[in-house]
Amino acid sequence: MMRRYGSLVYSALLLTLLTACDHEPPPVKFGESGEGYAKKIDFARLEHDLPLTPADLMKITPANLEEATQEQLDQIYARLSAGPIPDGPYQGQAFFPKGSSGRARFAEIIGGGLKGLVVDLKTAKLEHVAEAVWKGKVFDRSHRILRNRINDLAILKPLLGPDVATIQKLDVDGKDTWLLFPAKLYCGQSLLDGRRESIIIDYAFTDDLSGYREKPDALAGRDGFEIRDEIRMIRPGFYLGRAYMKRVFVLNFTLSNPAVAEKDSGAFRTSGNLQEDCWVGSQRTTAMAK
Amino acid sequence: MKHVMIAIGIMLYVGLVGIVNGKDTAGPPAMVLKEDSPGFRYGGGNLTDSERAGAEIWFKATAGNERFFTYVYPQRFGVMVDWYRVLGTNIREQRFNRWGLINDPDCCKPGDPNCPAKSDDETYGFDYCPGDDVLLSYVGMDGYQDPACEFKDAVLAHNDPHGPTDQRQSACDLRFGTSTGAMGVRKFPNPRFNKEQWLTVNKGRLGTWAGYNERGKPADATQPMRSRITDGSIEPPFLVGISCGSCHIAFNPLSPPKNPAHPKWENLSGTVGNQYSRFSQILGSGMDPRTIEYQVFAHARPGIVDTSAIPNDQINNPGTINALINLTKRPTHPHVVTKWRPAKQCPAGSDGRQCWCEPGREGKCWERGQKEGSVHQILKGGEDSIGAFEAIQRVYFNIGSCSEESWVNHLTDMRQLDPAQRGFGQTPFDIGQARRDCPQFRAIEDRLANIFDFLASARPSDLYKARGLKDIRDLVEQLDKEFGPGSVDRGKVLFAKTCARCHSSQSEPFGNRDVRELSKDPKEPGMRIDWLGNDKLTPVTEVGTHQARALHSNHMAGHVWEEYGSETLRAKPLDPNIKEPSDGGRGYYRNISLLSVWAHAPFMHNNAIGPELCGGPEDEHYNPPYADEKHMERLANPPACWPFDPTVEGRFKLYKASMEDLLNPGKRVPKITRFNRDVVIKLFPKLSDGNIQRYLDAAIVLPSDTPSSRIGNFRHKEFANDLILSKVDFGKLEAKYVARYGPERGKTVAATIRDKGKDLITDPKKLLVVGAELREVYSNSLMLREDDGHRFGEDLSDKDKHALIAFLATL
Repeated sequence: MMRRYGSLVYSALLLTLLTACDHEPPPVKFGESGEGYAKKIDFARLEHDLPLTPADLMKITPANLEEATQEQLDQIYARLSAGPIPDGPYQGQAFFPKGSSGRARFAEIIGGGLKGLVVDLKTAKLEHVAEAVWKGKVFDRSHRILRNRINDLAILKPLLGPDVATIQKLDVDGKDTWLLFPAKLYCGQSLLDGRRESIIIDYAFTDDLSGYREKPDALAGRDGFEIRDEIRMIRPGFYLGRAYMKRVFVLNFTLSNPAVAEKDSGAFRTSGNLQEDCWVGSQRTTAMAK
Repeated sequence: MKHVMIAIGIMLYVGLVGIVNGKDTAGPPAMVLKEDSPGFRYGGGNLTDSERAGAEIWFKATAGNERFFTYVYPQRFGVMVDWYRVLGTNIREQRFNRWGLINDPDCCKPGDPNCPAKSDDETYGFDYCPGDDVLLSYVGMDGYQDPACEFKDAVLAHNDPHGPTDQRQSACDLRFGTSTGAMGVRKFPNPRFNKEQWLTVNKGRLGTWAGYNERGKPADATQPMRSRITDGSIEPPFLVGISCGSCHIAFNPLSPPKNPAHPKWENLSGTVGNQYSRFSQILGSGMDPRTIEYQVFAHARPGIVDTSAIPNDQINNPGTINALINLTKRPTHPHVVTKWRPAKQCPAGSDGRQCWCEPGREGKCWERGQKEGSVHQILKGGEDSIGAFEAIQRVYFNIGSCSEESWVNHLTDMRQLDPAQRGFGQTPFDIGQARRDCPQFRAIEDRLANIFDFLASARPSDLYKARGLKDIRDLVEQLDKEFGPGSVDRGKVLFAKTCARCHSSQSEPFGNRDVRELSKDPKEPGMRIDWLGNDKLTPVTEVGTHQARALHSNHMAGHVWEEYGSETLRAKPLDPNIKEPSDGGRGYYRNISLLSVWAHAPFMHNNAIGPELCGGPEDEHYNPPYADEKHMERLANPPACWPFDPTVEGRFKLYKASMEDLLNPGKRVPKITRFNRDVVIKLFPKLSDGNIQRYLDAAIVLPSDTPSSRIGNFRHKEFANDLILSKVDFGKLEAKYVARYGPERGKTVAATIRDKGKDLITDPKKLLVVGAELREVYSNSLMLREDDGHRFGEDLSDKDKHALIAFLATL
């Protein structure tokens, strides 16, 4: 049991080792930052000195974001604005924080040697299992709600309760995907960067939504893990997100919809203009800066 | 079991990844409400143009903090204000007793005779106030023009550094909104308000928060209840912000109201400071008392508030709102100051972080540099030390203005335990960035001279005037009658001998000084030449009062208010008698003014010396702090609290009782603010799988009666990181504590941390015990007793003590 408890602790901490690969982080400029919190460049200064242009934003991809350190991801996120609240299905990809060494941040804290390696392996396992199950989110912009796309119910079976057949389904690209864990959408505070709002995906009060199932949806809610996500738009059809559990940052994720990207990226590339549904603050926004 | 574990991981992964305008032509004739703007009735027409402008800003301007209190505070910090509970028109009669707030004389309760609003549905449950005929029609809509746009600016001063052309930021950015019915608390229409949603949430009523603020029971009964105020998808009808006046406006000691629930303008003072205000409780009014935030911060006694609670320096240190009197006679002190100063131009190619000109303006520039000058020392420890204007402006940031643009990114996130990540600790607020990016900053900055002029216009509240006497001689006669013949004269001698070295701004010898002498300058009517305090800094261990406030760290290098502290402040020597961290200029208290001291009891920076005040016997906020002398545990039968009494005789009675406590420290009953509920902190939720649940059930229980400062002062982040370090690099941990305490103690401390860490792995529930055992290592302030110290005068005879009490009442 203690081994399982240990596994759970690792799982709850949600840290992992990203598999080795040859990719580089996004080819955009980053501000100089040291190792400790006090040596990170202030976001307002970063954005003033190194705003991201539409051309910069077009270079960012889900794959190269996965190669970025957490500091690089934070610097990108802070130079984005919320953009429009998305609509329709989005593919999801999640990745855990990496420290300056390129390893999972928790493994860095634990240090080198066997312990760190064990942490790397445990978190990598979690990431791969989860990747096979969670496929993204489906936004209902007009009602300001979303649901998560689950591809494999078997693994959630102990938490689903009865009447599994009543779980909502959606056909995405010819494949069935189950819709669970509803959340509300609104414009609200970023827990990383207060200078402008983010789109908040909030699981706290979802029991009044139609189709809500206490099992398992309550696990994400106010009596559960208190999950709260926030997203900002990189470019049309492509968002960078941050996920929090009990207000503690846990991991990053991307959401993408190729059809929206195809439709709207051309105009964005040339003008940098985008629809803003949320408060953009008083510092000039990224994409429109230059 | 494996499935459950994986499912939880996936679970995490999934998640991670009608307005009415209040007009009714039927019924009694509509009440004629006074114009709120541009007319402004404070001061009774006796203020200069600049003072009037400054007063109006002080009373009304939020400088945009309504977004802070509506969005930032609940969402980023997770702390809720239940504005309806505080401001609902249904409690207008009790608002002063419950919350210490002062009702706006120009507002009315819907449905009352002559009130234009007939139903609280028309006002969404709030009072009806001047300007609401327009404001209410914009709830749920864009396009509202703030009344500040109509603000009548004072004539630009001839010596304005950026004149002679008027280049001030638009007055619209002062952000007035309209009154909520409580002085200094302002409301703005929320364009995001959804009427249908509001009706659904609130059981079909517009004029109530019955559903919005109703606290639902959690699945786990040990956990706090939560209301929909925490649900960011619901937008309330109003954004609520506060002006500086929310804390500083008080009943005028010279002309208190007959009924505190129905004051008139002549009963108000904008500078005395509201000694009854309960902003600590207001700012936690939406929280279940079984939360750590409530128990640490919301028990502050009336009239004090921990202004560093939000930027949190992990020092629990609520303090009073200072009375502002005879400001121009307040002593200044030499300081080396690095700050921005007005300039006409910047050198070509200069770095915008050193010199900056506002775009679209002609020669409106600012240059940053270091100079020596004579400045006021402001705040309890003199921390604001770069100039009075800057200190005034910082008040606006403290109450949330420019919070999103310039402040919150510099604050500590109490949950961020990784020192490599943003939010682990504070970083310095950047004044230049705030000026550049926040228009509300510029709107206030461009009018600081007006605010200063208003604050400088305040004069002492003489007791003889309050009693309606002809002059001071009549008062002396009354006091001598009460305290014994010749008491006042004897008290004057004692004052010169025992008090004046700190509480006079004149120089020695004090024996022949007239501390009540008036300035002969016709431009300074009613101004005393003696500020009755030298405003110098005294080591806290010398004065002996509760030391937490003196250990305030926000002005240290690298901390949030670094740019508001002078180099001289930070270079002050350490007090060797302080055990806790006290570097960076900490460890001192200013010698405060005794002007009108009769009106400002209880005493000390934390209002702890003197009777405890409350709103009456049913006061839900009163948490008796009294402790027994021997064990310092909660006293079973504490003295009763004194109900708020702003009358002249009520203030005088409180003054006398507080002076008795001050001069008789041996008779004081110790005070320690404590939790009055158990707080249970669980890291994991209750799951349906009972087998795994028992492993997740570990909880940290902070029991009722825990001293609030024990928790508020504990550096939990350092503790957590040391526990990790003890496992992964013990040598580094040992080196850290050897450097701090020397070889012998340092090695012992490091070994203790390592051993206690092992204990915690075996039994996580021991966390609190382990933390207590290591308190001396991790506490920012160890002192518990709040009413200790300032024993000066305790050796006087009873007769002399009474003489001193009589004399001080004449000041």
